[in-house]
Amino acid sequence: MSEDILKHEEEKLEELLKINYLTPNNSVFRKTEGGFSALTFNGTDYGHVNLIRAFPFSAPDEFISVRKIDGKNEEIGIIEKLNIFDKDTVELINKQLEIRYFMPEIIKIISIKEEYGHAYWTVLTNKGTCNFTSAAGSSGAVIQLDKRVIIKDSSENRYEIKDISLLSQKELKKLELYL
Amino acid sequence: MKKRLLSEMPKELNDKLSDSKLNYGKVLVYAQADMNEACDFCDSVLILCEDCLIFGKSTKTNNGHKSGKMLWNISFEDFTFDKYDLSVLSSPAVDLLVVGGIFRVNVESKEKVLCTFTNSCKGRVNKLCGILKDLLDNKEIIEERLSEEEHEEFCPKCGTPYPDRNRKVCPQCMDKRKIFFRLGSFFTPFKKELIIICIICILGSLMSSVWPLLNGTYLYDGVLAKNNTILPFSAFNVEDFFLLLLFLALAMAGTKLLQQVFGIIQGRLVAKIVPSVVNTLKKKVFSSIQRLSVSFFTDKQTGGLMSRITQDATQVSDIFIDGIPFILPNLFTIIFSCYFMFKTNWLLALTAIITLPPALIISVKLEPILWHYNSRQFQTSRNFRSKLNDNISGARVIRAFGKEDSESARLKAGSEYIADAQTDTMKFDLKFTLLYQITNTLSSLFTWVIGALFVLAIFKPQLSYGNLITFTGYVSLLSGPADFFSYIFRWWSSSMNSAQRIFEILDAHSDLQEVVTPIVLDDVKGKIELKNVTFGYEENRDVLKDITLSVKQGKMLGIVGKSGAGKTTLVNLITRLYDPNSGNIYLDGVNLRDLTFEQIRKNVALVSQETYIFKGTIFENIAYANPSASKSEIINASISASAHDFICKLPDGYDTLVGSGGRSLSGGEKQRVSIARAILANPKILILDEATAAVDTETERNIQNSLSQLIKNRTTISIAHRLSTLRDADELIVIEDGKITEQGTHSELVSKKGAYYKLLQIQSKALAMRGIGD
Repeated sequence: MSEDILKHEEEKLEELLKINYLTPNNSVFRKTEGGFSALTFNGTDYGHVNLIRAFPFSAPDEFISVRKIDGKNEEIGIIEKLNIFDKDTVELINKQLEIRYFMPEIIKIISIKEEYGHAYWTVLTNKGTCNFTSAAGSSGAVIQLDKRVIIKDSSENRYEIKDISLLSQKELKKLELYL
Repeated sequence: MKKRLLSEMPKELNDKLSDSKLNYGKVLVYAQADMNEACDFCDSVLILCEDCLIFGKSTKTNNGHKSGKMLWNISFEDFTFDKYDLSVLSSPAVDLLVVGGIFRVNVESKEKVLCTFTNSCKGRVNKLCGILKDLLDNKEIIEERLSEEEHEEFCPKCGTPYPDRNRKVCPQCMDKRKIFFRLGSFFTPFKKELIIICIICILGSLMSSVWPLLNGTYLYDGVLAKNNTILPFSAFNVEDFFLLLLFLALAMAGTKLLQQVFGIIQGRLVAKIVPSVVNTLKKKVFSSIQRLSVSFFTDKQTGGLMSRITQDATQVSDIFIDGIPFILPNLFTIIFSCYFMFKTNWLLALTAIITLPPALIISVKLEPILWHYNSRQFQTSRNFRSKLNDNISGARVIRAFGKEDSESARLKAGSEYIADAQTDTMKFDLKFTLLYQITNTLSSLFTWVIGALFVLAIFKPQLSYGNLITFTGYVSLLSGPADFFSYIFRWWSSSMNSAQRIFEILDAHSDLQEVVTPIVLDDVKGKIELKNVTFGYEENRDVLKDITLSVKQGKMLGIVGKSGAGKTTLVNLITRLYDPNSGNIYLDGVNLRDLTFEQIRKNVALVSQETYIFKGTIFENIAYANPSASKSEIINASISASAHDFICKLPDGYDTLVGSGGRSLSGGEKQRVSIARAILANPKILILDEATAAVDTETERNIQNSLSQLIKNRTTISIAHRLSTLRDADELIVIEDGKITEQGTHSELVSKKGAYYKLLQIQSKALAMRGIGD
């Protein structure tokens, strides 16, 4: 009896220690009624699954961890490269990732007003004009990754500047102090 | 704290809902969301009633996102409502995303996304989901859950969002005057000194105001032009102008000397007042911090706690010393200068005053930017310091991985950042100084030129040469006060902001309150009961679910479970670092909430995995819970904790300094010191939270022995990964995902062959492999 348990646990451990790569051969994604992705992997239907980018900044389309939606959100497997799947699947997955990593994209910085250690931003985004407040001076409110800049407001909502070099001189000047 | 019902809806929504002719029961919770399922900004509302869930949604999407009051001020004009009876709903869930979340629910077993939302709406939707879940599970909803503390995310007065959501303070609308007077109270012990400072400042400004007169009109027009009538008191009718020159020189030297003397007196007084006031403030903040509950420290705002204690207090007293006392003298200087200038020649005075604003505008506009550059420079050097610190304290790891080169590259890059920041700052500083000085010079040159035209009598009335010198002296005297008044307001606001932060700590209420009339237990027996305890650090994320258990007096309860199962949380509740969200904990049949903190702390001692050694001697560390303990008591406790031997081997014995800066103890040694501390405290209830996790097996055995001394006649709750530690337990519980899944004695659980048995098998095998099995 005890041997069985040990053997079982060891098998489980081995299972845990290896990466399951999800490929078009072993996985099928479909859309749930709620518009989420559902996964059938190696014949097992996992239903609605959670999708998480392992490298949200440096490799958004690679190493996407697919996890169970309930319990402890165990990982089912990893999509190494999203583009090995067909167009519809990619679209479905991207749609869900887009919601998870929701960030309005800043097109234009209209004004940044600083008062009492806090910056009050007004920006034009792809989702319209947004007003928000961030803690000025504290590190972490503005993350810079090469050309991309991500700004977190005081509620931890995020806004993204895709390419800082596309900003005008005037806008850069406003932003510069926060980088 | 004011409470607000979660069902309280805006009037417009209420009207609109009544117009919709829907039938619905009593409203329980209302929550607003700000996005639709496609992640476009769109207003919607979730209304949870006794019998149904109503989802209202605007037909149009919003172009953009507002913050603060604007976000919540929606018209509901074009809202359409969908009603879902509770009977058709199942498994509601909020999927938390990187930002905000999704609210989904199954309608007739079909998954449906009702709305998505940003973090701005997260709290309320989460709450609604939690209550909906309980409603569907037919759980009773306690009245308390349907209200929340009044907490706005924006200033009710001006509608701007609070910059820091944990601090409900609007920097624009806070009552700065009230804060100012409250602050003033800290200076009352120094009333006399402050009055002296004010007098000295006025005298000082008088001296500086007299200077241009002495140095211009009196010198040139009076003494040098040998015109006695211009001098005050007609210079006592002295005709000898060499003597008068001597007088004047003496008066001028005297003025400068007096200014210096006043400066020294003021400096001394300031040196007396500032440290004392700052110290009082810091002490007050510090004792307030100790009063607060643990949750205060786990909140985000604690990042700034250190800076609050150190910087804010200094900033606040600065304005009282360098700001306020100078208001009057500066005002005085302005009035005196203007009086003289206008008296001498109002036309020239006007031209001079017109030239002042450009320099002022430059300093008001550019100084904040300069300040910003400076703070960035400061930040980069701080980053570099922490990098350097990492590097030096991690020297072993760096060598072990052979990463010396890449580390020095990293440091070099950091150093370059500093250099860049410094260059930027200097560049801007130069630009600023140059611009400021050019403007200043140009305006004074302008005054000189116009003045010269008056002197040459091209403009009438004619101006004497000495008067021109005095005049320009006053013009340059004016720029100081003008600058002062241009930044004193900004300074004042930021100081009041600092003061506000300090007072916030002083005024903060602990989440945990003692009852007004506590029950006093004369003789604590040590019986602990938990009844239906549910707790989560965050709404809708319960860590402990419906825990019921009891430990009899003097018995030992072992708790087993994976990390993250909720074991330590359980301990936090029993020691009342937090209160359960629902359910109660009883000590000897009395609710913990009805006891004083002192009673709980005195009777409950905790030995945890995180041993904390304070800076001080080992003796002091052991005597922490009972500072009056005698030396023999301390030694007794250390012997029971098997700490005596290692302490004696230290060169300084019990007097060894430990903690930061002192000798460093190994994990096991620290553990034993903290066990000795607990033995000395002699509590009725002992909690061991992974007490032996950090030590090797042999030390563990020693500690086990000392622990078995310690747990005699005490109620003990022991948490352990290593099941061998729990062999002596009278009862064991297994916690999984915040619930008790197995309960019984060791042999009962073994015969049950459940989770406990499985763990036991794995561990004994693992231990056997290491050659240290049973």
